[in-house]
Amino acid sequence: MKKNNELINDTSKPTQSINQGKIQRREILKAAVAGAALFAGGAPAIHAQQKTIRFLNAEPSRDSVKALRVAAAEYERISKVKVVIDTVVPDEAYNKLQASIAAGTPYDIGTLAFAGHVFILADAGKLVPLNTLVNKHKWGPRILFPIKGQNYWYPYDYNFCWMYYRKDLYQQKGLKVPTTWEQMAENAKALTADGKFGVAQPLGNNAAAQWMSLGYMWADGVRMLDDNFALVLDNPTNKPKVMAYFEFMKKMSPSMPQGMTQALFGTVLGQYSGGQVAHAPYAGRLMEVIEDKAPDLVSKTGFFMYPDSAGKGQAVNHGYDGWVVLNTPMKEESLKFMEWFTENQYINFLHSAPLHFQPARLDVYDDARWRAHPLVEKHADLVEFMKGLLTRKDVIIRSVDTEGPRIDSRPGKMFETFAITEGLQNVIYNGMPASEAVDVMSKKYRTVL
Amino acid sequence: MQGFRTPSDKVLKWAFIASVSVVLLLILLPVLHAIQLSFYHSESFVSNKNWVGIGNYVRILNEIIFWKALSVGLIFGCLTIILQVCLGIAFALFLDRNFPGIPIIRGLVILPYLLPTVVVALAFQWILDGTLGLFTLWSEQLGMGRPSWFENPYLAMAVVIVASVWTWTPFVTVSFLAALQTIPKSLYESAKVDGAGMWARFWHVTIPMLLPMLMVIILLRSIWMFNKFDIIWLLTKGGPSSATEHLPILAYRRAFLQYDVGGGAAVATLSFLLLSLLILVYFYYYPLEEKGGSH
Repeated sequence: MKKNNELINDTSKPTQSINQGKIQRREILKAAVAGAALFAGGAPAIHAQQKTIRFLNAEPSRDSVKALRVAAAEYERISKVKVVIDTVVPDEAYNKLQASIAAGTPYDIGTLAFAGHVFILADAGKLVPLNTLVNKHKWGPRILFPIKGQNYWYPYDYNFCWMYYRKDLYQQKGLKVPTTWEQMAENAKALTADGKFGVAQPLGNNAAAQWMSLGYMWADGVRMLDDNFALVLDNPTNKPKVMAYFEFMKKMSPSMPQGMTQALFGTVLGQYSGGQVAHAPYAGRLMEVIEDKAPDLVSKTGFFMYPDSAGKGQAVNHGYDGWVVLNTPMKEESLKFMEWFTENQYINFLHSAPLHFQPARLDVYDDARWRAHPLVEKHADLVEFMKGLLTRKDVIIRSVDTEGPRIDSRPGKMFETFAITEGLQNVIYNGMPASEAVDVMSKKYRTVL
Repeated sequence: MQGFRTPSDKVLKWAFIASVSVVLLLILLPVLHAIQLSFYHSESFVSNKNWVGIGNYVRILNEIIFWKALSVGLIFGCLTIILQVCLGIAFALFLDRNFPGIPIIRGLVILPYLLPTVVVALAFQWILDGTLGLFTLWSEQLGMGRPSWFENPYLAMAVVIVASVWTWTPFVTVSFLAALQTIPKSLYESAKVDGAGMWARFWHVTIPMLLPMLMVIILLRSIWMFNKFDIIWLLTKGGPSSATEHLPILAYRRAFLQYDVGGGAAVATLSFLLLSLLILVYFYYYPLEEKGGSH
């Protein structure tokens, strides 16, 4: 090239200058061929570097985001595929996913917390089956939600809701862990005094109330839908049970702090960790919070499942969270990433909320890596209780949005009508007879079925 | 367009066309898309759409919840507008006087309007918190117990109305204050000479002179309050028992939460049509140009 430059720059030699153009073209051609060869050789690497997977995360806690970012960086290092993590609050995940699809720039992987959302996206052909990944492991009950034999999501968290209670206050008052609604109401009443309240039960038109306050009803064996997705909440079997549940919640309401219709997840955590309430419904997050904010409460805290009315059944309210892979041009890369992530980083991610993310994969409970987390080790009794929720045959696992014989959008619609929380409000705050409240609620549910 | 002859006119013409195009793109297209969606059944924005004609409208109009939401919207809209206008005029009359510190007070009056709605909602939630809220504690100290601000349907409605009035009255105040300052003092002096007292001057001079502004304010506030979503959603999410759920919240709930995009679009379209009808009736009885021109 130096020679060529010299020729080009030497304007004192006309003959050469006439040939200058030819030489230049030849050189340019050579350079182009060389460049193309170089590009062809290096193309896979360059192309791989440019590949980007967009991951919509709906676990906004600092540790969970950090765990995903660490995983993304590690994956980029070994595969040269970039994984961009965007984080939203859980309530926004589905709408953001929908918007990204509608805008023509879909996320490649997303987090979903409603079976109905998985169903709608799978039905619209927007998801990729994850059978190969899912079939590698054994899973707990009521977590995979297959659609026509295909598993479209990879769960990471059961998100059950159970009750926590103050063991020290129980001891002071000589109370026993309740096994019936009556005992629960009496215990809550006994612990309500001097600005302290017996129990926090959210009662608003929100997900918090439907996650935290319906467990008693499930424990009594109430079913909302039959095997044909017909509403059976007000049939002769279920209506008396729902009425009794409404009356029980009304009886317990004087033992709750004011403002329960406004209470959200954080409200309950704050009320329990602040010592304002003696009972609080939650998953493992509550233990993590009091470990962090109120360590003196850790040894004073016990837990039990929601009791039924007669002391025969017990239940937890279902939650669940999982990932889906979207049907995008990057689906193959996304599947590769998910395969790597679920084998190599799944436990690291679970450790970002060690007690709250209750593993859906059964092998994790026996995995020394998972067991080695200090909080998992320290709270071995809680972990055994959590594992027992999956293995015991006498535990009822229910939630509004998973009612019915299989996953479908209809229970999701029922969830979003908040008819049952309105029923509670009608009985507790508006003095409506329980029977009428069940009728009003059932009518509202039928409008969306 | 015949008037656009000079080069600067041509610039003006293209600026006009550009701005109209932007308006069409950002407003008309989404509106038309929403109307189009209302004729389809779809569970999400990415699902297949099935043509149902006016099926969504028939279904929505047969639901009690639609009529309840409409009545909630009318109650919320009317009460907030009446209170904003009455308080706005009263504050404007007060601020129209000259006394030491008036510029500072005039500046402070606009403050609630400058606050983001989310801040206002959080402030009200804390003030009315069932356990620690200032108003809750005062109420208890006065022997009235702890009011169930957000559990009682009437109190919940009162809360969203008060929060809205508190936030948007400053806009009305400033508008009326500007209008008040354009009223010639000679009119008041003449009325005074004719023996008109304070009330007579208010009813026969101030109010007629404020009428054009009053009409504009009522029109604007009606549109804004009827469509007001944020403050209600942030404070009550339409509860308790749908007591504060008006049409915008119902539309949002249907489209984004209850997997009924067509139903939500139908509610939004009906709301749009009702508001348009209301405005047409309003203009029929109070044509702005005539009223404005008469003064």
